[in-house]
Amino acid sequence: MEKIEYDAVVIGGGLAGLMSAHEIASAGYKVAVISKVFPTRSHSAAAEGGIAAYIPGNSDPNDNPDYMTYDTVKGGDYLVDQDAAELLSNKSGEIAMLLERWGALFNRQPDGRIAVRYFGGQTYPRTRFVGDKTGMALLHTLFERVSGLSVDFYNEWFALDLVTDNKRVVGLVAMPMKTMTPYFFKTKAVVIASGGMGMLYRHTTNSYINTGDGFGIALRAGAALKDPEFVQFHPTALYPSDILISEAARGEGAILKNIKGERFMAKYAPKKLDLAPRDIVSRSIITEIREGRGYPGGYVGLDLTHLGEEYIKERLALAYEAAKNFAGVDAINEPIPVRPAQHYYMGGIDVDIKGRNPDLIGLYSAGEAACVSVHGANRLGSNSLLDTLVFGQETGRTVVEFLRSNPNTPTSNYEKEAEKVVDDAYKFVKSESGVHFGEILEKLRDVMWDNVGIFRDEGGLLNAMSEINNLRDMVSKMYVTDKSKVYNTEFFNALELRNMLDLAIVIAKSALDRKESRGAHYRTDYPERDDNNWLKHTIAYLRGNTVEITYKPVKMTRWKPEPRVY
Amino acid sequence: MSQNLQEQEVVFKVKRFSPEKGDWWSEYKIKVDRFTQFTEALRRIKSEQDSTLSYRASCHMAVCGSCGMKINGEPRLACKTLVLDIVKKYNNNVITIEPMDYFKPIKDLVVDWDEFYDRMFKVKPRLYPSKEVLEEKAEHRLKPEDQKELWKFAQCIWCGLCVSACPAVRIDSEFLGPAAHAKGYRFLADPRDTITDERMKILIDSSWRCTYCYQCFNVCPRDIEPVTAIKKTRSFTKNYSDKSEVAKRGEKHVEAIYDSIKQTGKLLEGMVYLKTYGLIQSLTDLIYMSKTGKLKYALVQEKNVQNINEIKKILGGEKK
Ligand SMILES: Cc1cc2nc3c(=O)[nH]c(=O)nc-3n(C[C@H](O)[C@H](O)[C@H](O)COP(=O)(O)OP(=O)(O)OC[C@H]3O[C@@H](n4cnc5c(N)ncnc54)[C@H](O)[C@@H]3O)c2cc1C
Ligand code: SF4
Ligand code: SF4
Ligand code: FES
Repeated sequence: MEKIEYDAVVIGGGLAGLMSAHEIASAGYKVAVISKVFPTRSHSAAAEGGIAAYIPGNSDPNDNPDYMTYDTVKGGDYLVDQDAAELLSNKSGEIAMLLERWGALFNRQPDGRIAVRYFGGQTYPRTRFVGDKTGMALLHTLFERVSGLSVDFYNEWFALDLVTDNKRVVGLVAMPMKTMTPYFFKTKAVVIASGGMGMLYRHTTNSYINTGDGFGIALRAGAALKDPEFVQFHPTALYPSDILISEAARGEGAILKNIKGERFMAKYAPKKLDLAPRDIVSRSIITEIREGRGYPGGYVGLDLTHLGEEYIKERLALAYEAAKNFAGVDAINEPIPVRPAQHYYMGGIDVDIKGRNPDLIGLYSAGEAACVSVHGANRLGSNSLLDTLVFGQETGRTVVEFLRSNPNTPTSNYEKEAEKVVDDAYKFVKSESGVHFGEILEKLRDVMWDNVGIFRDEGGLLNAMSEINNLRDMVSKMYVTDKSKVYNTEFFNALELRNMLDLAIVIAKSALDRKESRGAHYRTDYPERDDNNWLKHTIAYLRGNTVEITYKPVKMTRWKPEPRVY
Repeated sequence: MSQNLQEQEVVFKVKRFSPEKGDWWSEYKIKVDRFTQFTEALRRIKSEQDSTLSYRASCHMAVCGSCGMKINGEPRLACKTLVLDIVKKYNNNVITIEPMDYFKPIKDLVVDWDEFYDRMFKVKPRLYPSKEVLEEKAEHRLKPEDQKELWKFAQCIWCGLCVSACPAVRIDSEFLGPAAHAKGYRFLADPRDTITDERMKILIDSSWRCTYCYQCFNVCPRDIEPVTAIKKTRSFTKNYSDKSEVAKRGEKHVEAIYDSIKQTGKLLEGMVYLKTYGLIQSLTDLIYMSKTGKLKYALVQEKNVQNINEIKKILGGEKK
């Protein structure tokens, strides 16, 4: 197998991966970024609303980073590590200004300074934005910046697995999609910044490429995931493409209606109505659909028609255009078809505040792939872009420290292990019969949606466990019909599916074990938050077919749990 | 809300390619409704009918630029296009899907973007802020109106549709192409940038190689108007000393257009061509235009507009 050598390798060309790579390259180390898509096609491009940042001298005069930390901790239903949230808040202004210096076209105030808007869960407004395409603007700025440094990009390369030696990362195997020849990347440090995993669910606002590869890779290498049961659902995704219709629509007065034309939120949240928190609205919509009051196909209507054309086009341009382009619906005359969809993954590779994984020397993670944890049980809007950049930078700096104190490359007999990685992957291509990835994939997405989704209970989760175990058996019999040696996407879809199933079993088991409701994790059989027993992080390993679970305390600094009142 | 999903069966004829087998066509029948995007139709074909079909798609919301392809001959983003809209537009439930023109196919609808990326990187697509700003000794202030102007061109998602539609890129290897020009102008016009001279050197000559056919304007899914970026780049020529032959000829061309409008009130392409390029070059171009079906525009019979004096007044006495 061909060998390439780097000081550090980053898996992922989204905001988190690029920021880590920037730090490592700026310190003079040789770094490679491996991404299965051209970096600007990463999911970060899809973020709309903005990035939270307290900028001294350019914020609400009453605001300060402590309020930001408090909002984050409370939003996360107290499962947030408070030292991490403090770091996030304290660094927010600096990181936003850094992106500004690099050319990000933030919207401006009349005096030329960066403008600010209000976002859900904030005591004071502190979200910075670029039109309604903040993610795209920041990702392009950062990519353009990093592409001017001496970083080697391996775009449309697929990372298969890590190679380890005695709990130390010695490299990884990846292959270019264009030629499908495996390469061994020999390296001292690997940063997994491979993003989220929305494709596990039948309905998701995520990109098609968000298949949670990094979670599978980490689990197979023996690293733990933290809080894997916490999956965020957004109540208003456009039917049927699941494109996000921002909360701003309801903020401006849009009303959710069932097929009978009833404003059903009056029943579920009489005070807050359509502006109740995301998890409550999601649960209400699903209840309406399950009880037969949704539209055929399974959605409800988000009614803007009473707002009038002028108001809609001025204040809700994006929602209006999305409905028009992607659903063929003119929101001036008819309601926008919406339903909840998976949106964000709070769980992730277990790392500390410096991005280090405690299980493997040389393994780091940042962004949505990692769980630091700053989002706890429920992420606040506009905190995730901030997380990718702040912890992308922290992680990159930690890698630099590590490389400085470990100048010698580990000697290791990697050949055999690397070959095994490739053999395992190629099994699917070599078989001449078996099951297709499509069949397993569609079943998995339904099982996750129905049993490990917005509502969970013991029966459903046990059922999911056994279904997922069956599907994992089927994966060993999976085969790829396309034998082509060029850009064989069927082969890569099969590998993604393997990663998805390794993650799915861990999510289901962790959700089964957490016998309480907290943030996005809602158990109908345990509807209350239980701080006495469950104010702790789940730590989950995958050993063969068993999920091993332990727990770790939540780091508290100043903020004591309070009831979550709406 | 209309509950009629307008479910209907459509036939996709997809142009396939593999280096081993060359070109062929595959046909798939699938049921869609009025909400089905092309990316979703392709995803279903791949997971339910033929897993060997290769294409690119990521965001499914027209922001990542992955899914450019030719649908019934038009360059489009597959995610931004609803299947039934195409059925209605062409009044036909048989739809062809092909890889984008100009780019080399790698596998089925997946094309090779390397050359496109090279063009994009040629324009140094990044801000070069001043040293003071980088060292945090100074802070940028950007006027809201400047932000607005730049943001229009900064929204390019590198989808390549404009390049696949551009005739000039095909015949002129010195031309950077519409997307690179949009990107280049976005930084050329940024008051925070410090390498304006270098950017002019990169962009100005190339900007005069565009034929103003507006194809890029028509196909861009983000309404970037690359041709507008090119026009605005050309206006930098007067501030630039080191003009190439192409740029000088370009300036002459503009004068010719000006004269044409001043004399007749209309843009007489034929007359402008003759004045700018001379007879031989004009004839060569006419042959190219007739091949690409554009000749009809050049040969339109023009009459002077009636209130020509008004136009002359608007244009004023001086040349710009
Ligand atoms: C519709 C939507 C809107 C959002 N809006 C906001 C918002 O307004 N504000 C906010 O703060 N957050 C928002 N978020 C969340 C935020 O966008 C994401 O959490 C964040 O962008 C994740 O960035 P990342 O760098 O971790 O990963 P990504 O940007 O997802 O990048 C992952 C990278 O990993 C690579 N990769 C994955 N697997 C492999 C593999 N096997 N081999 C090689 N490479 C691989 C991919 O190619 C990609 O480059 C939104 C999310 C969605 C879905
Ligand atoms: S207007 Fe210019 S850049 Fe645009 S397609 Fe035509 S020749 Fe190409
Ligand atoms: S200018 Fe428009 S069509 Fe061209 S690459 Fe950019 S977004 Fe695509
Ligand atoms: S899939 Fe991203 S632009 Fe179409």
